[in-house]
Amino acid sequence: MTSRFDRRSVLKMGGGLLAASALLPRAAFAQSTAINYWHTFTSQSEFAGLDEVMKLFAAAHPEVAVTQENIPNPEFMAKVTAAVVSGSRPDVTMVSSERFADLLAMGALNDLTDKIAAWDRRSDFDDVRFASISKDGKVYGVPAFTFVDWMYYRKDWFDEAGLAPPTTYAEFRDAAIKLTDPAKGRFGFGMRGGAGGQAYVINVMEGFGAKLMHEDGSISLDRDKAIEAVDWWSGLLVKDGVVPPSAPNDGFRQIMEAFQTGQTAMLWHHTGSFQDNAKLLKAGVEFATAAIPAGPVNRVSRLGYAYNTATKPETIDASWEWIKFWGEPDAAVAFLEKTGYFPASTKAAQDERISGNPLYKPAADTLGFGIPSPSFPGFAGWSESVVLPAFQRVLIKEATPEQAVDEMIDGLNQAIA
Amino acid sequence: MATLSINSIRKSFGAVEVLNNIDIQLEDGGFLVLLGPSGCGKSTLLSIIAGLETSSGGDIVIGDRNVNDVHPKDRNIAMVFQSYALYPTMSVRRNIGFGLEMRKVDAREREAAVDRAADLLQIGHLLDRKPGQLSGGQRQRVAMGRAIVRNPELFLFDEPLSNLDAKLRVEMRTEIKRLHDRLGTTTVYVTHDQVEALTLGTQVAVMKAGVIQQLADPETIYTKPANMFVAGFIGSPTMNFLRGTLEAGAGGLQLRHAGGTLAMPGLEQDASTHLGREVVAGIRPESLHGGEAAAALTGIVDVVEPTGPDTMVVVKVGEQLLTARLGPKHRPRPGETLRLGVDAASINLFDPETENRI
Amino acid sequence: MAEARITYPPPRTAWDRYNPIRLIGEVSETRYWMYLLLLPSALLICAVVIYPTLYGMQMSFREMRLNRPDLGTDWVGLKHYARMLADPIFWVSLRNTAVWVTSAIALEFLIGLVAALALNRNLPGSKVLAVLILLPYFLPNVVAGHMWALMLDPRLGVINDVLVHLGWLAGYKAWFADPSTAMAAAIVVEAWHSFPFFTLLILAGLKGIPIDLYKAADIDGAGPFAQLRLITLPMLRTVIAAAVILRVIGLVNSPDLLLILTSGGPGRSTQVLSLYAFQTAYKDFNFGYAGALSVVMFILLMGFAWAYVRLSKVNED
Ligand SMILES: Nc1ncnc2c1ncn2[C@@H]1O[C@H](COP(=O)(O)OP(=O)(O)O)[C@@H](O)[C@H]1O
Ligand SMILES: [Mg+2]
Repeated sequence: MTSRFDRRSVLKMGGGLLAASALLPRAAFAQSTAINYWHTFTSQSEFAGLDEVMKLFAAAHPEVAVTQENIPNPEFMAKVTAAVVSGSRPDVTMVSSERFADLLAMGALNDLTDKIAAWDRRSDFDDVRFASISKDGKVYGVPAFTFVDWMYYRKDWFDEAGLAPPTTYAEFRDAAIKLTDPAKGRFGFGMRGGAGGQAYVINVMEGFGAKLMHEDGSISLDRDKAIEAVDWWSGLLVKDGVVPPSAPNDGFRQIMEAFQTGQTAMLWHHTGSFQDNAKLLKAGVEFATAAIPAGPVNRVSRLGYAYNTATKPETIDASWEWIKFWGEPDAAVAFLEKTGYFPASTKAAQDERISGNPLYKPAADTLGFGIPSPSFPGFAGWSESVVLPAFQRVLIKEATPEQAVDEMIDGLNQAIA
Repeated sequence: MATLSINSIRKSFGAVEVLNNIDIQLEDGGFLVLLGPSGCGKSTLLSIIAGLETSSGGDIVIGDRNVNDVHPKDRNIAMVFQSYALYPTMSVRRNIGFGLEMRKVDAREREAAVDRAADLLQIGHLLDRKPGQLSGGQRQRVAMGRAIVRNPELFLFDEPLSNLDAKLRVEMRTEIKRLHDRLGTTTVYVTHDQVEALTLGTQVAVMKAGVIQQLADPETIYTKPANMFVAGFIGSPTMNFLRGTLEAGAGGLQLRHAGGTLAMPGLEQDASTHLGREVVAGIRPESLHGGEAAAALTGIVDVVEPTGPDTMVVVKVGEQLLTARLGPKHRPRPGETLRLGVDAASINLFDPETENRI
Repeated sequence: MAEARITYPPPRTAWDRYNPIRLIGEVSETRYWMYLLLLPSALLICAVVIYPTLYGMQMSFREMRLNRPDLGTDWVGLKHYARMLADPIFWVSLRNTAVWVTSAIALEFLIGLVAALALNRNLPGSKVLAVLILLPYFLPNVVAGHMWALMLDPRLGVINDVLVHLGWLAGYKAWFADPSTAMAAAIVVEAWHSFPFFTLLILAGLKGIPIDLYKAADIDGAGPFAQLRLITLPMLRTVIAAAVILRVIGLVNSPDLLLILTSGGPGRSTQVLSLYAFQTAYKDFNFGYAGALSVVMFILLMGFAWAYVRLSKVNED
C-alpha cells in the first residue's frame, strides 16, 4: 500500500471528524417559538384577510413566529390524517365544524378546556359558538370566524320582475322559474351539484323534515321525507330546468362564476364570498343578500365555524396565543373587512362597522335562528362519498329519488355501524 | 443484367461538394470497384445509384433507362450494406424473402426462391433463426442472400466485408468473386481495401475527395498509376518515391539522386520532355531485389521486418527511405551497407509539381 | 495468490484491538465487505418498499377505521374482500378503471407515436418543437387538471367557444356534467397530459433503429406504412412494452386528475379504483377496506404486467 490515502486511512479520518464534531458548541436556540398554521384559505380575499391577521399578531406577539400553509380543501383530510399518523403535525390547524368529529376520533386535537375557561375574552362569545368543538364537556378549539349561510340574489333582476326575495322553498322555486330565461342565458339558481354539493342536499332533506340526528341520540334518515326533498331539489334541474345544465359538475368555483358573470339569479353560500362577489357586482344595487328560505318543515340555515385547534401538544402554549388572537375584535373585524366572514365573537359582531351595514343584516338575523350542521364520526365521508354521488345520479337521470335515498340510507347504516 | 452509366454526377451537401462530375461506364456483367479513403464519397455515389440519395446533377442510366426519378424499389437493384441491415425481428427466411413479399410474389414461389438463394450461399440450416442468433459471417451471407434472391439487374455492395475478421474477409471475398462469376450480374462494389479492389474488380475507380483519380482495370491501376495518389494508395507496402534529376546517361535515362545515380535501362515510359528537371521515380518494393542488375541503389539498412514469405527492408538512400521486399533468406543487419538491384522497366516517373505520371 | 496476505501493524494499545474503525478496516479486506456494502441499500429497499407493502396488506385483514376507535383494530379475516364482492361501487370502479386506462393509454400511445415519428425526421425547428411537445408532461397533474377544467368550462371554456364558432356544437356543453362525455373528456385531458411520456420513450427507441434498415426496406419495396408496421413497431416492442406498463401502473394508481376534474362524478360515471380507495381512506377513514382495495389493484397490476410481458413477447430474442 503505497498510496497516501488508502481505504483504511480514509475511514479513520472520517471517524476523527465525527468525534471532533461532537465537541463543537451547539448553535444557540432561537429566542422565539415558531409555529406552523394549516388552513384551507384559497381565495385572494381570504389570503388578504389572513395576511392582515398575521400582521396584527406579529406586532402584538413578537415572541411567536407564525408560518402559514395552505392545504386545499379536497386534500385537507388526507394531509391532516397523514400528518397525525406520521407524527409530523402542524402546531395549529383550522378545523371546520363538520370535520371535528372525525379529527377528534383519530386523536388529532388537544384539550383546551382550561385555557379557554381562564381566557379573559371567553365572555365575548355565546356558549353555543363552542358547541361544535366540544365533546363530553371538553373544548378543543376557539372559533376564528363564522360561516353564516345566506343567499345572494340579483337585486336588479328581482326588481325588474317585481319580485321580493323568497322566504320559503316554494317562493324560492317560483322566483327561480320566473327569472329563468334561456334567451338571455339566465338561470334562476346556481345549484352546486358537484364537489361540495352534499351539504345542500342534506340541508334540503332536513328542511323537508328528514333530520339526521335525533333527540334520543340516534342517527337515521326518514325515507319518505328524504325522497320528497331529493325529488324537489333535483327537480330544479330535471323538471323545472331553472339551474344550469352543468350543475352535476358545478363546484364552488363554477357557482361563483355563474353568479358573478350574470348567468344565475340566486346563489346559496355563506358570508365569506361577499367581498369576492362585490368585486364584480355592485353590492346593494346589482346584488343583495337575504336569509336562506325556510323549508316546509324546518328552517335550515347553517352556522358553521372555523375553529383554530392545537394539534401539536408540545407547542400548545405558543399555539394558544395565536388561537385566541382571532377572538380579538380588531383581528376579527379586520378579517371581516377583507373577506366577509363573520366574527364569532358577539362583541366583535356588535362593532359599528358591522351592525351599521344593512347588507349584513340577514347574516346577523341568521345568527339568531341558524343551526349547526349534523356532526358524527363518519358524517363527512358519508355525505361526500355516498350522498353526493347518489344525488348526482338523480341529476343525470341515472337513478330515481327513491333509489338515491335508499343508497344514502344503506351508506349511512354502514358509516355508523 | 444491364449496363450502368454514371454521367456527370455531382453531389453537394449544402456548400460542401462531395462528388464532382463523376463519369463511369460499366459494361453488362462488369464489376466496378469504387476505391478510396474514407470520406471520399464512395457511399454517396452508391446511394445515388441506388436512388437512396438524390444527386445534385447528372444522370444514372441502368440498361437504357434513365432512373433519376425512379424509386429505389423500381430500379431493379439489390444492395448489401456494411451493417448488413438485416431486419432483427424477422427470421432469416423472411429477411431473404422480404423483397419478394413486398412485391406480392406468391408464397410458394417465394419459398422456392429463398431456398435456392440459401442453397447457393449454404445457409439453408439458418433459415429459421433470427439475425441476432447468427455470427458475422453468417449475417453477411444472409445479406447476400437477400440481394440475389430477386435476381436484380444490378448489385450494389457498400463495404460488405469490413466488419469481418481478416480470415473471414478473405473467404468471403472469394465467395463474392465466385458468385459474380456464376451469376454474372453487373456489380458496383465500394471498398477502401485495395486488395479487394484489385482481386474483384473488372474496373476500379480510385477516388479522392469526390474526384475520380483513375478509372481502369486493376492491372493498369497497379502498374501504371495515373498519379502519385493512386500510386501511393495501391500496394502494400506502398510504392517508394525517389526524388532526383532526370539525366540522359549511357544506357538511356538515368536519375541523379542524393545518394548517387540510378540508371534506368528498359524504362517503358517516355520522359524525355522532363530531361534536366526534377522528377519523382515510383519504385514498388518488389521491384527492388537482392540480386545484381544493371540498375542498382546503395544504401544503409535502417529496419528489417521479416513477415514470413518476405523480408521487408527499409534502406536509407541519401536522405530518403525506401522499402524493399526481399526473399525470406535475406536477413541484412541494420547499419550495414546494402546494394539493391532495381527492375528498371517497372519504374513510374511522376512530375513532382502536378504529381501526375509523366 | 493465497500467500499475498495483507499484514496489519500490530495493535498499539489494548483499546486499539476494539477500535471500530480499525475493525472496519480489517473487514474491508475480506469478501464479506461486498455484502456489508450492499447492506444499506438492502435495508433502504426493505424500509421504503417491502415494509409499507406488507403493512398495507396486513391492514386489509384488519378493522381499521381511524374515526371509529371504538371498533378497535382486530383481525377480520377476509371481511373486506367479501364486502368488495358485493359492493356495486367496486364493480363500477373496476369497469371504469379498465375503460379509463385502456382508452387513455391507447390514445397516448397513438399521439405519442405520431409525435415521435414527426420529431425523428429532424426537420428544421424540430428541436424547438420537441421541447414544446414535452411541455404538458412537465405540468403537475394538479395544474394540468385545473387548466383543462377551465378550458372545458361550460361558461368560460375556450374549447366550447371554439367548437361553437366552428359550428360543431349548437351550444356550450358541460362536458363533465354529462355522464356520456365526462369520461371521454377526462381521457382526452389525460392523453394530452401524458402523451409526451410515450413521445420521449419512443423517440429514444427510434434513435436506436439503424437508418440502413429503412434504406434496405426502400429497396425491398416496403412503403411507409409497411415500414412502420414491419420494422419500426417490432423494433420498438420493448420500449413500448416498458412505456405501457409504466403508464398503466401510473394511471391505475393515481387518482389526482379525475379527483380534480370530476371527483368520480357525475353519479359514479368516472369513479375508478384509485379514487375509490383514496376516498375510502381519506374521506371515510376506513383504512381496512381501502387497504383491501389497494391489494386488489396491486394484484390486478401484477397480473396485467405479467400477461402483457408474456403476450408481447418482450422477453424473446
Ligand atoms: N447527409 C450528409 N450530410 C452532409 N454531409 C454528408 C452526408 N453524407 C455524407 N456526407 C459527407 O460526404 C462525404 C462523403 O461521404 P461518404 O460517401 O459516406 O464517404 P465514404 O463512403 O467514401 O467514406 C463525407 O465527407 C461525409 O462527411
Ligand atoms: Mg462509406
